[in-house]
Amino acid sequence: MNVRAQLVMVFNLDKCIGCHTCSISCKNIWTDRKGAEYMWWNNVETKPGVGYPQKWENQDKFKGGWVVEGRKLRLRAMGKGPTLLNMFFQPNMPKLDDYYEPFDFDYSNLYKAPPGSDQPVAEAYSQISGERIEKIASGPNWDDDLSGSQVYAVEDVNLEDRKIVEDYGRMFMHYLPRICNHCLNPACVASCPSRALYKRGEDGVVLVDQDVCKGWRFCTSACPYKKVYFNWQSGKAEKCIFCFPRTETGQCNACAHSCVGRIRHVGVLLYDADRVEAALLKPDDQLVAAHREVILNPRDPQVREAARKNGVSDQWLEAAEKSPVYALVKEFAVALPLHPEFRTMPMAYYIPSLSPVISSGADLHELADHGTFPLLEKMRAPIGFLASLLSGGNQEIIAEILRKQIALRLFKRAGNLGQPIEESILKNAGLDEAGANRLYRLFTIGGYTERNVIPTQQREELDSHQRKGASGFGILKKTRGPK
Amino acid sequence: MLNNFIFIVLPYAALALIIFVTPYRYFSNRLTWSAYSTQFLERKTLFWGANPWHYGIIPVLAAHLLGVIFPGPMKAFLGNEFNLLVFESIGLALGLFAVFGCLILTLRRVNTPLLKRVTFASDWVLLYLLLAQSLTGVYVATFMRWGSQWYLHTAVPYLWSLLTFNPQIEYVTDFPLVFKLHAAGAFVIVALLPFTKLVHMLYLPFDFLKDPPILYRWRTK
Repeated sequence: MNVRAQLVMVFNLDKCIGCHTCSISCKNIWTDRKGAEYMWWNNVETKPGVGYPQKWENQDKFKGGWVVEGRKLRLRAMGKGPTLLNMFFQPNMPKLDDYYEPFDFDYSNLYKAPPGSDQPVAEAYSQISGERIEKIASGPNWDDDLSGSQVYAVEDVNLEDRKIVEDYGRMFMHYLPRICNHCLNPACVASCPSRALYKRGEDGVVLVDQDVCKGWRFCTSACPYKKVYFNWQSGKAEKCIFCFPRTETGQCNACAHSCVGRIRHVGVLLYDADRVEAALLKPDDQLVAAHREVILNPRDPQVREAARKNGVSDQWLEAAEKSPVYALVKEFAVALPLHPEFRTMPMAYYIPSLSPVISSGADLHELADHGTFPLLEKMRAPIGFLASLLSGGNQEIIAEILRKQIALRLFKRAGNLGQPIEESILKNAGLDEAGANRLYRLFTIGGYTERNVIPTQQREELDSHQRKGASGFGILKKTRGPK
Repeated sequence: MLNNFIFIVLPYAALALIIFVTPYRYFSNRLTWSAYSTQFLERKTLFWGANPWHYGIIPVLAAHLLGVIFPGPMKAFLGNEFNLLVFESIGLALGLFAVFGCLILTLRRVNTPLLKRVTFASDWVLLYLLLAQSLTGVYVATFMRWGSQWYLHTAVPYLWSLLTFNPQIEYVTDFPLVFKLHAAGAFVIVALLPFTKLVHMLYLPFDFLKDPPILYRWRTK
């Protein structure tokens, strides 16, 4: 048993209102720089939709992540030999148009414009070339709230029935906030010929060493989530750094901190690094179960002993015990990895959203036994869609979680109304009263320190020269050209 | 005078610069150590530029170096008429391939507005210099036949004499101007290497071939 600790974020999609406050706080702190204008280390997509960059989930196009070959994992894009042969031109790299051409508006025209009969306007200009943009063709969240659904949402690879987005009666949507998943088996790290990307041993944060990166761009295409970006100014790769300067001091990530819906939980997971590869060799629909197997119980004395031996401090073990993430991912098993079939073992987990109480289209008001929620199969967001997104196509896992969420709501509703509740409802969903109350707190009224349990790093253990040099983004020194 | 400049001053200046400036840049600001790829901003033409250029110039450059490092075996190998013919033909073809690529890369920089903000004076200097260098190379290969053979008996001993600090420029002073331009171009490129994005060629990704796929860094270990 090779026990390691990982900082993990859980997103409760049931509560995300798509306000983009997370994206803005991240942008303001980390990517408000030249060369990084188009980067959104944190972004929020509407599902169904093509996302950012457009069609990132389509690995036939971008060739990201891993595939199983015999009893081995290999990068989908290419092996080491072909990597050397493709250094000069990278065939699978997303281009600027797959994101969008970053733009700003020339507000000075509002007061500089000569007198005339027309009202002056702030014209859009490209933040890359500086040229005026006649017509903005795309933006960071172009298909927000299903806008242009006939063009964008129909292209969502998770849709079984594309007609659903054309049928107003059956249409559905939810939001999907995304950051770097800081995977246990990161494809970006494996693909880097310069070995610039690395995973921090202590907290599992994946970073790009800006001094080592030579800009070969393999990481940008190897990451199946497209969360490694190419800075066109510095010529190097950049990515979400999990706000390590904040988490190291016990503060919450900027995105999670600013979250209006309080949908995010941050905490520690302990996992067995020796089991990761074997788990990823499982077929798609068994991957979620395999993920859960890799995660270890922080209360198990054997696990604690092995963790201590690996240098996990008591403070971290305590945080792992109190971890809201462990509760959601393993104990209650309500949080799922995003696209586990990409086989990077992502360490960001999502609680699937429960559809609205109204049933779909023609089957309106066809309700389940308990009389409040529609049958699972008749839910507005098709289970198949959620399964394709979060469980490698395993619909049973999604159904289990939805049942838990429904049972929890019925339980609290009955409590509020002073009505008796049939015990079988909780029991059938795999919950008990104490568990339901705990889950309720986590989902709703749990405060900052309940939602986020982040142990600090003992940075004082670190050699000061090394400490000074470690940063995952390129703003500390001058790159090139005028600032 | 010109000979002294091209064959003594230039090479030693270039050597001094690459030896002293490269480590300085490496240790002072590695943030600028990049190939500054522009594929993100423009990829269609880049494919037809970057690939022919690199696949053309790398073997040609390697052949030049091979001649310097192993003059003996190369002489023996190229003593055979058939070998020489094949070697020269492949070399010329690769040279033309490189010229084609470099031309495309130059035109691409000229014609793509999106690249304006990532194109600096050094990019133009390099593009035109490399274009000129590959053109003089192709000229020498075409009109001064069997260069791969006479190179071993003239330029190679001259380069060795440079390395032993006993420059014997009489090996190369009688060549026509185009050869001298080619030599001068080579020294200028070496001199510019530590100052420009050409430093990207000083890194060969060999660690990556033997390392396990996932790299960890520990604060304490």
